[in-house]
Amino acid sequence: MIELRGDSLVFSFPEVHPDARLEVDLQRTLRIPDDGRNHALPPGLGSFPLRHVDDHAARLPAEWVRRGGVMLPMYQAEALWIRFRSPTGYPFAVKVATGKINAVTGEPWREGLNRGPQDYVAVPGQPWLDGYVVEKGFIRQFVAMPLGAGYTAEEQVTGAAEHGGLQVMALPLKREAWERLVAERAEQARKAPPMPRFAAAAAPASASMAMGLGAGGRMKQEIYRDTMPLEDWDLRASSRCFVHIANSLVWRSVTGTEPPTVPPTAEEYTRAGLPWFDYYAEGRTAVEGSGILAAIKSVLTLGKEKGDVPLPENVPVEPVHVVPLHEKPAGATVHEEVF
Amino acid sequence: MLGDFLRERREALREGDRRYSLRQVAQRVGVEPSFLSKVERGESPPPSEDTLRRLAGELALDADTVLALAGKVSSDLQEVIRRRPMLFAALIRELKDLPDQAVLRLVREVRDGDW
Repeated sequence: MIELRGDSLVFSFPEVHPDARLEVDLQRTLRIPDDGRNHALPPGLGSFPLRHVDDHAARLPAEWVRRGGVMLPMYQAEALWIRFRSPTGYPFAVKVATGKINAVTGEPWREGLNRGPQDYVAVPGQPWLDGYVVEKGFIRQFVAMPLGAGYTAEEQVTGAAEHGGLQVMALPLKREAWERLVAERAEQARKAPPMPRFAAAAAPASASMAMGLGAGGRMKQEIYRDTMPLEDWDLRASSRCFVHIANSLVWRSVTGTEPPTVPPTAEEYTRAGLPWFDYYAEGRTAVEGSGILAAIKSVLTLGKEKGDVPLPENVPVEPVHVVPLHEKPAGATVHEEVF
Repeated sequence: MLGDFLRERREALREGDRRYSLRQVAQRVGVEPSFLSKVERGESPPPSEDTLRRLAGELALDADTVLALAGKVSSDLQEVIRRRPMLFAALIRELKDLPDQAVLRLVREVRDGDW
């Protein structure tokens, strides 16, 4: 079952275990430059507002209502990252797709879990996902573009602008596997405190409705190999959600509420001396990148080929303040920040 | 019942603060003291929704509770029910005997559709 709590999607599986609760939120962030360099992790600037599609059905396209789920507003060229949090440490396998193209493998959406290649992220080891896994240890940032203009990953892989948005599916570990894990671990090692990846102060800085996500600049981020036996995941208990992305320019007319302000540029943020982040998890192995996703052209590259200017700016930055975040080894799920 | 409830509350407040005399409360709510006195004694039909809301605010009471004691339903709730009368009538009847903690556990799921 999935609920909206504030602006978080809360997946819970009371039929599997009372501890089986996963929070997923979609963080506003700044767009990293697409300048051929590998950037550090940008900050979270707060959650995107999420609304039930059903609450605004009269003003939405029929296919949005048919798909159900929730919606959020993004400006063209705005970036997003996804935060996963399991308050009790209960493990989840989470599949993420954009336009029904898997963000880890580049393959079309499939139910279930696969290991060859691994087509999901394993939480709580994986605290966030910022983009498409283009190479081992590197992603290309999720960047919003109008659906139909040819920039989204979906359009480049399938040739069609059909779905857009973002799809999230979560599966819990089986009850008996969790109970085994709990017995193996000391009680104090179970609770994962939230990982701080937020700016000290949130610096604020053709309206077709549906948006999709395309590939932005490169970022250092590993997607960790799942170490659980595949049969420990409870495949019968999955929940999934379609997250529609509405152009911020039409958000107000649909919902009657203001969308968030345009985020600062990477240059403005860096010039203000605000922190970027680097994440280390010792003892974990990263999955390989996807050849399909590596072949996707970034929004900037495609824009140049088309003679468009799809990004309002793309100034290279040199962060001086990079905060390392660190996960303890030895399988413990305690997260520790090292400043 | 409404009258007793309002009078007991006002008199309890007056013990610690003289501004809660019948006259002063009536003045702040915008009615004649004689009218408020009749309401408290149950000798007058309940005042309007607006007056009851002002009274509830003045006496730090929950407005929906005061309206219910006066045999009224808040106009915003009436509007909600009027928009989908069958659904809300069925829902309220369904919930009427549930204990509070069961009602508080009602959650709204994000609907998954066809995609």
